[in-house]
Amino acid sequence: MKILIAIGSKEYSGPTLQVGMKVAKAFNASTTIVDVGKKIGKFDSKVAVLAQERMESWEFERPGVDVLEWAFQYLEKNNFIESQIIEAGFPKNTLVETGASRAEVYLKGTVCEDVKLILRNGNIISELRDEVQSGNYDVTIIGGSQKRRMAHDLIQYIDSSIFVVNQIDTNRTYRILLAVNDSKGTKKAVRFGARVAQSFDIGVDILTVSKKEHFGANYKNAAELAGKFMRRCGIDYQNIFKVGDPVQVIKEESKNNHIIVMGASTKSPLTKFFTGSVPLKVMENCNCSVLIVKE
Amino acid sequence: MLGFSQHSLTNFLFWVTQKKWFLISMLVGLILFILPTPDGLTVEGYRIIIIVITALMMIITEPIPLPAIALYIIVMEVVLGIGGPEEISRSFMNDAVFFIMGSLMLAVAIVQQGWDKRIALGIIRLTGNKTKNIVFGFTALSAVLSSFIGEHTVVALMLPIGMTLIKYTSEDREKTRGLSAVLLLAIAYGALIGSMGTPSGGGRNVIIMSYLQEIDISISYLLWMIKVYPLVLILTPIVSWILIKSFAPEYVRLDTGVRKLVVQVAKLPELTGRNTIAMFIFFLVFLGWVFLSETLGLGIIALSGVLLYLIAGFVKWEDLSRNTHWGVIILFGATISLGANINGTGAALWMANQVINIFGSLMDIFPFFTDTIIVVMTTIMANVLSSSATVAVLGPITLNMGSDSLHLGLVTALASAFGFFTAVAAPACTIVYSSGFVSAKDFLKAGWKVGFVSIIILIIYANTYWIIFN
Repeated sequence: MKILIAIGSKEYSGPTLQVGMKVAKAFNASTTIVDVGKKIGKFDSKVAVLAQERMESWEFERPGVDVLEWAFQYLEKNNFIESQIIEAGFPKNTLVETGASRAEVYLKGTVCEDVKLILRNGNIISELRDEVQSGNYDVTIIGGSQKRRMAHDLIQYIDSSIFVVNQIDTNRTYRILLAVNDSKGTKKAVRFGARVAQSFDIGVDILTVSKKEHFGANYKNAAELAGKFMRRCGIDYQNIFKVGDPVQVIKEESKNNHIIVMGASTKSPLTKFFTGSVPLKVMENCNCSVLIVKE
Repeated sequence: MLGFSQHSLTNFLFWVTQKKWFLISMLVGLILFILPTPDGLTVEGYRIIIIVITALMMIITEPIPLPAIALYIIVMEVVLGIGGPEEISRSFMNDAVFFIMGSLMLAVAIVQQGWDKRIALGIIRLTGNKTKNIVFGFTALSAVLSSFIGEHTVVALMLPIGMTLIKYTSEDREKTRGLSAVLLLAIAYGALIGSMGTPSGGGRNVIIMSYLQEIDISISYLLWMIKVYPLVLILTPIVSWILIKSFAPEYVRLDTGVRKLVVQVAKLPELTGRNTIAMFIFFLVFLGWVFLSETLGLGIIALSGVLLYLIAGFVKWEDLSRNTHWGVIILFGATISLGANINGTGAALWMANQVINIFGSLMDIFPFFTDTIIVVMTTIMANVLSSSATVAVLGPITLNMGSDSLHLGLVTALASAFGFFTAVAAPACTIVYSSGFVSAKDFLKAGWKVGFVSIIILIIYANTYWIIFN
């Protein structure tokens, strides 16, 4: 299992990092932290590089290195990584260009084995998509954004499960709201939901929503199987059956004290592009964190 | 669907999302192509306008790489019958392109010489420890240097000095927000103002000179300075004052910062013979620009400087090649080709006449009105495009908007330096912004004031000093 955590600034990325690392621990996953910095206009990219070289000769790091350093210290302070040479501090000098808009701080072999730190510059969706494709990541974890387009592009184009960490208070206790139905993705969503619940030591509300009064056998089976899985994992759970519009029901049930976990839409990319999908609408309408699990 | 996998459909949709502005530009171009040619415009003239519109849309939105936009311009000029391959390739290269190429290479060579350490010491000796004097010193020095070595080179040299001074004043960035904005914007805005001062201040100046030469109007390096440098001297203190008033720096004096900066610079190696020769070579380039540019051309002289640096071994070709943005050079070549063909096909005259038809009565009543239109139009375009691309495209049109082409050309070139409004309006602003020490809001906060004042002063200046001077 490989997890990618995207951070943006020291001010707002603490909860994303905290939640992301907990999830990574739950899955015993290798983790990469990526900071996607500002896109420099193509007109000025070379002169900006020239200026950066001068700044380095005056002992100023390139923008973004400070964010990675902060992330490294945050992980160390919260015991998320086992640093072998903590006294030596963050190894800025091992930042190596590994692509046109990508650089990596090499930690393996010298500092720690658990985490990779990446610096990228450019459009956030393009850069994350590129990173996910080249690194074959299973889950991408990112902080919430006010931009509607961002949610759409993340779900549509990032080829991994997406966990959007939104307005999370690390001192508060949440429950998982696991939305299940008869789709193929539900099984994997149940597994992910259980792991997240275990890592946070919280309970799960298994929500089955039907648009019609009558719940089909497949829906009931999905809810039953999810319950069985939770019981086997020793997780406190309850089954909830509701009738109505799935997005509205999920929104009402989640309030602000849930982490929503659901499978990705199985619609064709073209349909999703033009008409959207339930996971996208959930992400846009709910104020809490959402994990969309892709097949 | 139709045998396409979900994955390839997703890839296609991603491509569409990334290239949507390319597709929109092509659609706009196609619609314009189908529409009838406007009255009074030749078919070739109409087609070049279509290429201009679509290319500008792509330069602003960057859906494809810059060199690809340049290739699009060249290909379309031939395909749409604006000219034959020989004709178009000839219009692609002139002294202005050589100058842009030479100045980008000179920037790489100069930045590697470590002059920034000397500049740091010099500036502190001149200004002392008072913040407002230092701000003025940063603005003035950036302005003077950028008149000769190009705005991006100056900012690359000055930026670490400003950042070091800020860091030594306080490590807490919250306590130096105002100081950071005022010092770093002084560098960016100073460099922009100074780039107006001489023909070698920017590619845009050389482009306008080449357009003027095509209509048999020449302006020497010294005459340009005499006509424009007083404007630089007027704007420099005004801009520093606006910056200080806009950001109210947290410290009245920078005693600690200055002391630590002096100590750091003092630890550096002494000036070597190599540094002196590097400066001497640049001085030769400067002398060449002043005294020989009318015969040799500014571009050839800039390239001579690069050649000398390479012969002396002060810069490696690999470094020059790696740090020179060849794509930008190709794009400038293409926009200059566009400019030449806008003129050649009569499109420039037609567009100038359209502007005159709309504003003609106001132009007759208010003598400053033509300049106002040019300055506002150029400033807006320079803030969303590159300043050189703006001049390359607008120049042929503005030169046709009145009888005094020299006056109109200079106004266009000078207004194109007013890239104050956003963090990405000019290379000087982008470099400062990329340091992470200033926010985009800082540019908006001070940029509109500096821009507005500069526009007013330029219009008054062009219609008083130049008239008296003439």
